[in-house]
Amino acid sequence: MVDRKYIGRTARSKEGPRHVTGRGHFTDDFTLPGMLHAVILRSPHAHARIVKVDATAARQTPGVFAVITPAEIQQKSRPFKPGRYAAGLKKTIPEYATAIDKARYVGEPIGALAARSRGAAEDALELIGVEYDPLPAVVDTAEAVRPSSALLFDELGSNLAWKGSLRYGDIEGAFKQADRIVKENLKIHRYSSTPLEPLACIASFDAASRKLTAWVNAQVPEVIYDALREALGLEDVRVIIPDIGGGFGQKIHLIRKYVVLVSLLAMESGRPVKWIEDRSEHMMAAGHSCGQEFDVEAAVKKDGTVLGLKFKEIDDVGGSISTLTIHFTNKLNNLSNTYKVKNIFLEGHSVVTNKCPVIPNRGIGKPGMCFIWERIMDRIAEELSLSPVEVRFTNLVQPGEMPYTTPSGNVYDSGDYPGLLKRALEKIEYDKLREEQKRERERGRLLGIGVVIGVEPGGRNAARDMAIFPEMKESPGSGGVNGATIKLEKNGTLTLFLGSPNCGQSHETTTAQVAADILGIDPEQISTSTPFDSDLAPWGVAAANSGNNFHLYDIGAVHGAATRLREKVLALAAHVLNAKPQELTIEGGVVQAAGSPIKKITFAELGKIAYGNQAMMPKGFEAGLQATFYYTFPHGEPNLVPGPEGLVRAQFTFSAGVHVAVVEVEKDTGKVHVLRYLIVGDNGTVINPDVVNGQIYGSAAHGISVALGEGFVYNSDGQLLTLTLTDYGKSSTMETPRIEAEHRPAPSPFTVLGQKAAGEGAAIPSPAAIASAVEDALRPLGVKVRELPLSPEAVWKLIRKHESGKRKTEG
Amino acid sequence: MKQNIRVKINGRVYEEEVEPRQLLSFFLRETIGLTGTHVGCVIGECGACTILLDGKLVKSCLLFAAQTDNREIVTIEGLADDGKLHPIQEAFVQGYGLQCGYCTPGMVLAAHYLLGRNPDPTEEEIRKGLGGNLCMCTGYMQIVEAVKEAAKKVNR
Repeated sequence: MVDRKYIGRTARSKEGPRHVTGRGHFTDDFTLPGMLHAVILRSPHAHARIVKVDATAARQTPGVFAVITPAEIQQKSRPFKPGRYAAGLKKTIPEYATAIDKARYVGEPIGALAARSRGAAEDALELIGVEYDPLPAVVDTAEAVRPSSALLFDELGSNLAWKGSLRYGDIEGAFKQADRIVKENLKIHRYSSTPLEPLACIASFDAASRKLTAWVNAQVPEVIYDALREALGLEDVRVIIPDIGGGFGQKIHLIRKYVVLVSLLAMESGRPVKWIEDRSEHMMAAGHSCGQEFDVEAAVKKDGTVLGLKFKEIDDVGGSISTLTIHFTNKLNNLSNTYKVKNIFLEGHSVVTNKCPVIPNRGIGKPGMCFIWERIMDRIAEELSLSPVEVRFTNLVQPGEMPYTTPSGNVYDSGDYPGLLKRALEKIEYDKLREEQKRERERGRLLGIGVVIGVEPGGRNAARDMAIFPEMKESPGSGGVNGATIKLEKNGTLTLFLGSPNCGQSHETTTAQVAADILGIDPEQISTSTPFDSDLAPWGVAAANSGNNFHLYDIGAVHGAATRLREKVLALAAHVLNAKPQELTIEGGVVQAAGSPIKKITFAELGKIAYGNQAMMPKGFEAGLQATFYYTFPHGEPNLVPGPEGLVRAQFTFSAGVHVAVVEVEKDTGKVHVLRYLIVGDNGTVINPDVVNGQIYGSAAHGISVALGEGFVYNSDGQLLTLTLTDYGKSSTMETPRIEAEHRPAPSPFTVLGQKAAGEGAAIPSPAAIASAVEDALRPLGVKVRELPLSPEAVWKLIRKHESGKRKTEG
Repeated sequence: MKQNIRVKINGRVYEEEVEPRQLLSFFLRETIGLTGTHVGCVIGECGACTILLDGKLVKSCLLFAAQTDNREIVTIEGLADDGKLHPIQEAFVQGYGLQCGYCTPGMVLAAHYLLGRNPDPTEEEIRKGLGGNLCMCTGYMQIVEAVKEAAKKVNR
């Protein structure tokens, strides 16, 4: 165990100085000699056959170097390998980088063009003639599954592209024993985290060596690597990932299409090609979080004990099959939330529609799972005339039950859920608040309090999907592996090579703090090699900015590499100082032997020996002071791979948080004001509180904004009406409430420092917290909240609907 | 028909030939090479391309480069003094007033403009002053706190 001088407190940000001076390096900041600029040809129709694409005039335009149409795509590339989210499809549907014979959403790429400047490219794009045969747009899941509906994929014979179910425990028994069945129908809309930096890529191809280098703001280098191999047959691929201007899941999957297109343009033109997405392209085609509808039933005892939960989910997955089940399959990650319910049944329906494909976004489906639990808990409380807080206390997993195995096979590492809830109620002064609410209601004010709880899972396990798709022939892999390298330089400073790119979570700062404690050196003496470069970085399948992997695999790898380097440093120093390694301590980059103040040696002196003075090295010592460590989660068993009962760990660490929202609703306008927002959370050992708080504030603010109105809106023709950030309704400083966060960590017994995930977590319960608080505010009016978003318009309609209903009954 | 402009940027005079349709944001990034001015929407919604034009806070995507003839611009690169961070920049670093860094140049300049006119702003005034700059990462908490800290330093 090392001293924790830097772990657990804030440190000077490593990333901050370059960003505040405008010296960050984002993909668009790079310029290569002779570089061309690409633009994408996109479908203006939601659903149309592509009859003919004529690019003759564009090709003949001076300054245009390369044009790609669906015909070229078919000739020069192969479809992507069907991913694990398409594993349940009855038929394989080839998906290329562009549409081939049919466009299935507004903005779907049809082709691409590269020219000397962006302006010239945009001008030339208008010369490409596309003849479309428009088809009826399918925009509603209920309509989509009717036999009369137009089909998106003729091969599937239905727009219900996938249906499947999972069952844990004795669900029929639970519903038989119940005193009451509580039912609800719930909906979550389409939204996204809309990273401020749009998708961006530069591709450069060396025809002689057939090496392709891609600079791209992708969160998962492996996806790019695989895509270029699958689509273009390239084996020698270098992926460079500069600073990423926000990710949130948005830059994982669909970005591969554009990397393939830009790479093809680079191969075709013999020049480097840059492509920068614009905002409206991002809104229409870079991926949305899934529109989800849930039919929920809970079997409950009179005292509020939940015996069983059943839900049917209908996902509006848009016009692609590559990620069609991603929001349903992720329900397994937080299926039990914080509750000890033994019997659960879930059924998923993935319905293809003429909308943007769905992609991961801050929690992928987990905000929906939390919404199911927390809305039904409120409904149970209401129907049984119990306090919503009591119903939750009754069902929480207890701290003494940790590590706790859930019915689906997840193993919750640690946590004190009742403790978090108690502390949150105490801090918000819940009883006092209820009294105030009562008083204010009498004066006509609509005040509401919502108290919810949720888990934030971290880590990855693709083997989860084997439990969902029994027909899966090939294992999609299991667990995660990620590497890190640390090098002591000749001058005594240290350089880290991380396996994962960074998109704003302070990877450089946090890993330096960990390595600094292990090696006994100031974090100021440690720098991280940037940008991420797949030719240099050790990596693995968890080399990713997704799934809350950083805390587990990257920290594990840095911890391992630094520990290994420490052993080498001590072995060399012991030899030079003529001491035993166990008698040595390290502080401030100086190795000191016990008992003698003069028996010491600095890292710089050791560096000089390790890289240049063979005579001073001990016998058998591997020269140099560098270490690489590949980390995989050592507690992956049990349930790493589903057994006969289908139990599987979907993720490996479980942070948790209680969210309390206090809101006021303006009756005349439907506008919701968030008066207070409190989070009491457990993220395990906090390595840097400023970093972790930043993740909590940011993800909570997004969840709140989602609940209160940001979102995508389509018309009945499948045209996206929210093409700008203003129309979409992104919250600014003026709409975003202050968020209070308190930590009550229960360190994980399974991770190197007790750390757990801290990223998307607060985006998981926050939509439910707002829904709960708004419903509570509107309780005097008898309004039920079943659907997000709660925009002023939606809330006003809820109030009006109730009032007109009341007038009818009164009249 | 290209146009000639003479513009002072971060204290240095540039004489450049520009296309009439070139936006100021792209002129700064591509012609002058100051890539700290970021582009997030090109229609004035996000604030990533915020700069100071003759001392006024503007979104550089809403102007053509040709409109800046004989005018003076300060971009994020012009704020630090000989490598020493401006107190506002320092407050953003100290207080983790950023995550991915993409909105940061615009945020810092918006804060700079605000504190120049109102050295002791309330939280409400800070939020109003930054209201034209979107951030998708932070929930604005640490940005607002950083501006409060910066105000203390600037006033000292």
